[in-house]
Amino acid sequence: MIIFKREWKTNLKSLLIWSASVTAVILLLLLIYPQMAEQQQDISELLKAYPEGLQQVFGMDQLDMSTLLGFYGIEVFMMLTLLGSIYASIFASNILSKEENDHTAEFLLAKPVTRRQIVTEKLLAVLCNVVILNIVATVSSLIGFQFASSKMPMDTFWIFVVGALLLHLTFAAISFFLSSFIRKSRKILSVSLAIVILSYFLSIAVGLSDSLEALKFFTPFEYVKATEIATTNQLDPLYLLLMGLIMVVSISLAYFIYHKKDMAV
Amino acid sequence: MAIVEVNKLTKLYKGNVGIKNVSFDVNEGETFGFIGPNGAGKSTTIRTLFNFIYPTSGSAKIFGKDIVTESKEIRKHIGYLPSEVHYYENMKVEELLSYSMKFYKVNNTKRMIELAERLDLDLKRKIEDLSFGNRKKVGIVQALIHEPKLLIMDEPTGGLDPLMQNEFYEILAEEKAKGTTIFFSSHILSEVQQTCDRVAIIKDGEIVAVETIENLIKNSVKTVTLTLKEPENISLEIEGVLKEEVHGQRLSVLYQGNMKHLLNELNRVDFDDILIEEPSLEDVFLHYYEKDGGLES
Repeated sequence: MIIFKREWKTNLKSLLIWSASVTAVILLLLLIYPQMAEQQQDISELLKAYPEGLQQVFGMDQLDMSTLLGFYGIEVFMMLTLLGSIYASIFASNILSKEENDHTAEFLLAKPVTRRQIVTEKLLAVLCNVVILNIVATVSSLIGFQFASSKMPMDTFWIFVVGALLLHLTFAAISFFLSSFIRKSRKILSVSLAIVILSYFLSIAVGLSDSLEALKFFTPFEYVKATEIATTNQLDPLYLLLMGLIMVVSISLAYFIYHKKDMAV
Repeated sequence: MAIVEVNKLTKLYKGNVGIKNVSFDVNEGETFGFIGPNGAGKSTTIRTLFNFIYPTSGSAKIFGKDIVTESKEIRKHIGYLPSEVHYYENMKVEELLSYSMKFYKVNNTKRMIELAERLDLDLKRKIEDLSFGNRKKVGIVQALIHEPKLLIMDEPTGGLDPLMQNEFYEILAEEKAKGTTIFFSSHILSEVQQTCDRVAIIKDGEIVAVETIENLIKNSVKTVTLTLKEPENISLEIEGVLKEEVHGQRLSVLYQGNMKHLLNELNRVDFDDILIEEPSLEDVFLHYYEKDGGLES
């Protein structure tokens, strides 16, 4: 676990910064909520003034912003999925490729380690960091709920937690796969971020237009939609399968490619 | 016993030849030089031996183990100094060295401090603040610290000042005395002559010759540059002169043979200055190896 420990140490600072940011965002949003709830009548009126399409995008037509569940689904969960996916993507995209980009692969690969071992330990580092960020987010949410006057249904909340984690891991797996063969850090960072951002906008577009319905499978954000979770109280098994598949395929390919390739040193 | 056995190792890069049918053996306890001009395939060979890159065909064994399938086992007992040293920039020198030691499950802090002192290397400094030469020193310590059975070094003295080079050669001599097998590449003939028992000469990806140092020195070629008034009118007619060239007031001669003989003959020439130096590898290859395809021994 030498490489894992090294990754942990190197990335601790960034994990702390991200944890602090996510905590701040979640607490801030949940602090706003009581005031919104007080003025719920006005808010519901105000939101009705939004174009219908826009209401659909954020699930406002199905979720009631004035309930804690609705507010969490629309505001907090949306921010958490987006921020967490960006973090997971940045972290995973760099982790394998940086050794080649910084020419330290020549050091690492001269040590008595197999390439499989390198991939495994780096993968564990990704998993560990993403899980920790999610734990921080969960704890922050639980603290934030104390400020609210109404109660959050906890069974639904835990599904939100699992959904967010799976989404983050899905993006992490995709970026990790890219990291196994793209060598330039700058290039891989922009590709990974583009995947997250484009997926996000695609899910908005899908919400806006019914004709884009078929594209929903191409954006992981659709797999863990807040409205679905809040109304059905579960994660769609089909989407669970899809996320599992993306992770298994991405990670297997990463192992395979990293083992087979000629290292640029 | 052969520590390194290379058998028809070939590496093609997208159709281009990196190395072709490279074969040689390095024996236990031997200092083996790997010499050739830049781009000849020295680094490619070394990188293949470490399995950074996969061979296209052919095979090689180190400690009797296959370089592809048993690479991890092999690397337990190798110290490696790359030609360009790149380490984790935000680490301190001692952090990097202890990170390196962990992989070999050793803790030779005493040896680390000793080596660093001999090479005048500050362990507390950050890698990112080090000059090229100082990075090389970190590389040397890193290669030696776990007391490997085999040292593989790619252009080890590049970037080291002459004083440090001497210290480095001394350390190498001590390692050799301990029984360590040393394999290093270079493009400087004299460096190899000083330290090696045998050399493999590589050019355009192919081994031209594997020679003992005695043979290399016996057949040694020197570049002699004379400065004189009218070089055009001088004809040396000395046996062993391979090439004569005139540049202004300078007469450049590539000479092979007994140096005393040359000096005696030069006595009768009225020159102002003389410079005798190692020929460039290109000269050696052009006028020596290509003449009859290899060294006569």
